[in-house]
Amino acid sequence: MLPSERLDFSAINQRPKLALPDGARLAVWVIVNVEEWDPTQPMPRAVLTPPAGGAPMPDIPNWAWHEYGNRVGFWRMLEVFDRSRIRAVLAINGSAIQRYKPIAHAALERGWEFIGHGFSQRSMQKVADERDDIRRTAAAIRDFTGRPPRGWLGPGLTETWETPDLLVEEGFEYVCDWVLDDQPVWLKTRTKSIVNLPYTQECNDVAMMLIQHHNASEYYDRAIDQFEQLYHDAAQSARVMALVVHPYIMGAPHRLKYLSNTLARIRDHRDVLFWTGEEILDWYLAQRSAW
Amino acid sequence: MIPRERCTYSAIVDRPPLKLPNQARIVVWTIVNLEFWSISRAMARQVLPAPTGEVLVPDVPNWSWHEYGMRVGVWRFFDLFARLGIRPTLSINARVCREYRRVARAAREAGWEFMGHAWEQMPIHKVDDQAQMITRSLDTLERFAGTRPVGWLGPGLTETYETPDLLAAAGIKYIGDWVYDDEPTEIRTTHGPLITLPYSVELNDIPMMLVQHHESGYFTQRCIDSFERLYREGAERAKIMAIAIHPYISGQPHRIKYLEGVYEHINRYDGVLHWNGVEILDWYLSAKAAP
Repeated sequence: MLPSERLDFSAINQRPKLALPDGARLAVWVIVNVEEWDPTQPMPRAVLTPPAGGAPMPDIPNWAWHEYGNRVGFWRMLEVFDRSRIRAVLAINGSAIQRYKPIAHAALERGWEFIGHGFSQRSMQKVADERDDIRRTAAAIRDFTGRPPRGWLGPGLTETWETPDLLVEEGFEYVCDWVLDDQPVWLKTRTKSIVNLPYTQECNDVAMMLIQHHNASEYYDRAIDQFEQLYHDAAQSARVMALVVHPYIMGAPHRLKYLSNTLARIRDHRDVLFWTGEEILDWYLAQRSAW
Repeated sequence: MIPRERCTYSAIVDRPPLKLPNQARIVVWTIVNLEFWSISRAMARQVLPAPTGEVLVPDVPNWSWHEYGMRVGVWRFFDLFARLGIRPTLSINARVCREYRRVARAAREAGWEFMGHAWEQMPIHKVDDQAQMITRSLDTLERFAGTRPVGWLGPGLTETYETPDLLAAAGIKYIGDWVYDDEPTEIRTTHGPLITLPYSVELNDIPMMLVQHHESGYFTQRCIDSFERLYREGAERAKIMAIAIHPYISGQPHRIKYLEGVYEHINRYDGVLHWNGVEILDWYLSAKAAP
């Protein structure tokens, strides 16, 4: 299906009002991405381009830079989430669960929500059998946590023409790849519709640090600017705000405090809810059925 | 061997804490890189890409820019580290001992540690006979410096699948290419274990200034942010923070003060050890053996 066939245009101020419980204005969700980068494939991102260019294989410096996130960076990020008493959403490659078991255990122990994030870190358009990839990812999560995942985020937010159709058929209830709104939206598929939750390209450390090359402080500055505007927008109808982090980026020693300060500052507000994706989904479904 | 076969994933929180002598919190490891850029090939890095985007040979502007580092910039480093009483590790293309003898001599006389950094600056994947290049590089440095280097850093941190095996066979004891931890680790080779030390791709003027295009002043900020976090963590377990610099980048008149600012800040703290690679290696070997 064409993207434009999956949902109609709709203006946010012309929709039925969404109301969060207890007078809250904003639902904030934080997604931690944990990936496995195959050292026999080109690295998805690079911090140190090779001298005089080319594409060396193996790419030790860039493989190691990402690996740092899982060995070290994740653990200092965890401290921040624990201190803020926030349950994050873990978007994890299916294969990464076994590869980085301590990470999966730490998330499980804390009741973080696991969502599918491809079986390995590559474009869904380059995957040999997309349904099989989705299915294996769901199975890896179900086998480890005891529950199948309800949500999905494509690696690099990539999809084929069929991805939402396959996700519904494989039992997923929400997807995050369609970053086009501040509220959940419905996407049509060849069978049932699926909800898309507002993920973020803007409050996202890959975009900010690796593509735009901002100072680490930009994470905080931008998150607070985003928050203040969405908070204002939410006066009449609730908004959803996402914050996205990767352990090898915001978990670097020189960046962590900007994440920590962001969560602390937002947490200060009483009318803000830190929810997981499925909490947002269940709330939205209940809202919709009330109309 | 592929990287995964050389090391098992391990979460830093699962390892017994290493302790530094006299309750020190952090080791700061300064590495100065000296390179030989052959004018007959494409330049390793560029400050001014050709207006057409073509690769030029000879590339006068970019060759000159690097040359400035040897003629002028590096003396600012010698001056700074003499004032601070720090003897950095010198990551040196062996050919520098011939082509920039004067600079190599200054480092030798100042007691800097000579670390292998290949023969000349190009990705190691492009070297015809890697084993021969490694031997020739180490022989040259040994003849020049008087002792055989025990450490190695690939140009651009590059390695082929065999590099660690070849290095171990050549008598190297530590490498800096695996920038994936805050602590030393061991990796497997065909010639026994090889130690990895935490070099840096974050506090490194190539990614910062040449890839991410940060302003010169941000160097100080990022190093301080990193230092403060690692210093705090150093209360629980030993931390190592590397600072990696190049004379043609941080030795520029508009950048040297920001490098100076880093040490000025660090040196206000107790429990900071300025060590070179050999000192870190020796400490690690005895620390991990300790009961």
